[in-house]
Amino acid sequence: MPTVICAAILAFLFLAPQIAFGRQAAQSEPSDGAAVYAAHCIKCHGTDGGGIAGVVSIMGPSLKAEHDRQAVVDRVLHGKGIMPSFKTVLSSGQIDAVAGYVTTELATIPLAPGDLANGGTLFRIYCSPCHGVSARGGAIAFAGTNAPSLVDKSAATIAGTIRWGPGPMPSFPSSAMTDQQLDSIVTYIQFLQHPPSPGGTPMQYFGSVAEGLMAWLAAFVIVGLAMWIERGGKG
Amino acid sequence: MIREIGDWFDARLHLAKFVRKALNHAFPDHWSFMLGEIALYSFVFLVVSGVFLAMFFNGSAVQQIYHGSYKALDGVSVSAAYQSVLHISFDVRAGLLIRQMHHWAALIFLAAIVMHLSRIFLTAAYRRPREINWMIGLTLLLLALANGFFGYSLADDLLSAAGVRIAYSVLLSIPVVGSWLTFAFFGGVVPTDATIPRMYALHIFVIPAVLAALIGLHLAIIWKQRHTNYPGPGRTDRTIVGSRMWPSYAAKSVGLCFLVFAVIAFLGAFVQIDPVWIYGPDNPAAILPNAQPDWYLGWMEGVLRLFPAAHVHVGHFLIPEIFFPGVLFPALLFLLLYTFPFLERWFILDDERTHHILLLPYQQPLTTAFGCALFMFLLVLFFSGSDDVIAVATGNSVVAIRTILRILVFVAPAATFFIAYAACRLARRHIAPQAAPSVADD
Amino acid sequence: MNQGRRIRPHGGWIGAAAAAFSGWTAGGPSTKGLRMQMAMAGENSFGDTTPDSPRVFSSEPAPGSQQHGSPQEGLRNLATLLVLFAFMLALGASIGFVVVYWTSASHALLGGMAALTMASFGCGLVLWSHWFMKHEQVIDVRETLSSPPAEQQAVTKDFLADDQVQRRKLLLGLVSGTLAAFAAAFVSLFRSFARPPYPALKPTIWRQGDRLVTLEGRPVNINTLDVGSTLSVFPENRIDAENAQVVLVRVNQNLLRLPAARANWAPSGYLAYSRVCTHAGCSVGLYEAELCLLECPCHQSTFDVLSGAQPTGGPADRELPQLPLYADADGNLRARGDFSAPPGPGFWGLP
Repeated sequence: MPTVICAAILAFLFLAPQIAFGRQAAQSEPSDGAAVYAAHCIKCHGTDGGGIAGVVSIMGPSLKAEHDRQAVVDRVLHGKGIMPSFKTVLSSGQIDAVAGYVTTELATIPLAPGDLANGGTLFRIYCSPCHGVSARGGAIAFAGTNAPSLVDKSAATIAGTIRWGPGPMPSFPSSAMTDQQLDSIVTYIQFLQHPPSPGGTPMQYFGSVAEGLMAWLAAFVIVGLAMWIERGGKG
Repeated sequence: MIREIGDWFDARLHLAKFVRKALNHAFPDHWSFMLGEIALYSFVFLVVSGVFLAMFFNGSAVQQIYHGSYKALDGVSVSAAYQSVLHISFDVRAGLLIRQMHHWAALIFLAAIVMHLSRIFLTAAYRRPREINWMIGLTLLLLALANGFFGYSLADDLLSAAGVRIAYSVLLSIPVVGSWLTFAFFGGVVPTDATIPRMYALHIFVIPAVLAALIGLHLAIIWKQRHTNYPGPGRTDRTIVGSRMWPSYAAKSVGLCFLVFAVIAFLGAFVQIDPVWIYGPDNPAAILPNAQPDWYLGWMEGVLRLFPAAHVHVGHFLIPEIFFPGVLFPALLFLLLYTFPFLERWFILDDERTHHILLLPYQQPLTTAFGCALFMFLLVLFFSGSDDVIAVATGNSVVAIRTILRILVFVAPAATFFIAYAACRLARRHIAPQAAPSVADD
Repeated sequence: MNQGRRIRPHGGWIGAAAAAFSGWTAGGPSTKGLRMQMAMAGENSFGDTTPDSPRVFSSEPAPGSQQHGSPQEGLRNLATLLVLFAFMLALGASIGFVVVYWTSASHALLGGMAALTMASFGCGLVLWSHWFMKHEQVIDVRETLSSPPAEQQAVTKDFLADDQVQRRKLLLGLVSGTLAAFAAAFVSLFRSFARPPYPALKPTIWRQGDRLVTLEGRPVNINTLDVGSTLSVFPENRIDAENAQVVLVRVNQNLLRLPAARANWAPSGYLAYSRVCTHAGCSVGLYEAELCLLECPCHQSTFDVLSGAQPTGGPADRELPQLPLYADADGNLRARGDFSAPPGPGFWGLP
């Protein structure tokens, strides 16, 4: 008899949370992807996943190129930057459903590997003036913000943002830039995120300013060596 | 065996007296006298590494399709010059190393010249009889600046091509003859087919030849006039004290040479410089932000950015806004530098005597303060030329930074002047004054 | 203070090395010491002729030499070993360089070997000089730079050379004139380097009816851009024509503030401006869609596209020339003529 009572108590303790949370999920949130999106995502990512931007900063990026279901699931689960993690608010079923919704209904920009070299040429005409030739950001006057670095942005975010043109950034609709061109640019930007630097440390691609400062450092080292060579010299 | 070889030459050239004089030549021992040598050895390295590069570089602007090892440019239309630089960087054994060392050596060459110039200035070594060498030295600086600019513009990448366009615009702005001069030099609206080949000819032949000749003259004059001395025992305007050239000074100097090479090699091995494959080939529709010339032209870039937008009309004609910061300012600056020994005599101290003993910086407070202020001015200009890089690195607005720099470019040199002057006066009062050296009467 | 002539204390050559950074000052000379020292050197005055062998001013044996102070055999051997080691390292690294070159030719390894061999060799030479070469200061006479008056007169006499020619002034005048003419002839050779600049600087290739095309050659039509979009466009059939690059933007037509004469230059809100900055010629590739500003990334000059690309900030002082547009029957954008002004940076003859 005591064994049965213990087993019943343990079973209750084990099952109760499942029942409780399950009921809570069932009562408070729908499990349809579109409904989840409308309830939780629309505030930052916009009604059609197009992204929402303030004048100088992006609140939520465009989702219109998010084709990777698992990547969406991971992002919702763990969050990134100003996006919170939804792991305590949504069940795994709901997360899965909204990921499905995003990748099948909202993601309308096709994304495929493009031509690296052509992407480079296009990048240097359209993207480099603001974002820098190494995609590590560029200064802009009077826009209220500098163009951000693209080094930690995913391909989907980049593609969505190019078509969107949030804030001071101009938009590049498919009539101006074909899907193939977009793919090529995205491919090149991904290449730039980890480019080969066969000559040694690239000093974060700060260019000739960093090189100049390094050269002066080297010059001071040489002067130090000269001081050692002529130590005790009175001139 | 050395004796036998020596005798063979002596029998034909009567060398013994000259060689004795050379071996016993007195070289004052002080690290600040080695700054010019650092520049000299950097120049030697530049010439030797430049010969290697010239064997591979193709100084032609003819467009071709790139099909080399760097896949991110495969199929892109590039100039033959750019293609050859990629070839050197990726396909030639040790090519990237030599190329990077060459570029680093150029940056160090100019830094050494500037340090050497500063030392000459601060110790008043430009006074009679060394005014000629002062002017030769400034000419060497100008030629080195030009050669550096042409050198990194040869690659015809997006960054250096933007610099060429800016130089073209600056030359174009000269009144009356500007467009003729520009077309004569560049061959038309840049980029043209003539631009790269002409820069190539200047960079590997004309300017190095003039540089070598002037360096030779510079050294010959030093040999003839003898080094200066810092004040000290036995050192007067009639005598010179120093180490014997052979063996101790020669060993130290050659040792310095190899240490300079070592620093250049270290940088060339481990720190990437001028990654032209990231900048991509020149394309008139493309452009990049955060673009600066090499450091020694940063002051010019700064004044181009800071100077207010103000053109001048002369009747029907235009003097564009870029003329004042781009042409007039550097011209006045170098005019000031060239004539400084004479200006100093007019404005500060009319001293026509021959001097072989240096002044310590605090012994000439006005000149030192002026020099420090000028250096600070150029330093602020350098940072002004980098204001967009500063903006990105610190996450601030480039407009705000530029406004701050516009104020700083006046305030900082003025403050430096007063601080340096006060420091010199303070030092003069507290450090034991040097015995006034005897002055030669010639 | 170290006077340079003071013999270093016994056993203190490493200590003396540690006291190396004595900087600029040399301290006040002790005239008594100087006279004494001159006497030691056996010299009281200097003649005008430079002796072949400068007098020794001060001398001390090298720290690593046999004569120096108390025998420091151990230190001397250590010093020798260090110098030998430096040279052996240099030799080894040179061989290493060759080996790396012929095998992997890895950039970092190759450069590292080069740096190591140079540094070791340089250090070896310097240490040899510090520890084993005699530290001898010599004193020498500086020759008077001005020549004596007699010599200067002799030069004048030799130069004048007792020339007997008549009409010297006329001859010299003609010679000078000819030399000046030579110089002028030489300078005029530079004309060969140039073609007349204004025909190339003022007009561009754009003509009435030219279609605007993208880099790939696709024509641009009235639906290509959304409001807030931008493209680089070129004249059809001459994509690489000099100074002909155009930046095309599309704005909300209600916001336009173009001058009255340009009222019909912007069909459906399409504005075309020269992409060559009027400041220093960089490509004006930055478009801020919200403020409708074109910006040049080189020196941050900004131009307001709504009012004819008037400069609003930065060092540029003149507006970007505008290309007048119209839409043809197919909806393709075409130019009405050349730019409103010669594109690019300013020059003397700019109208």
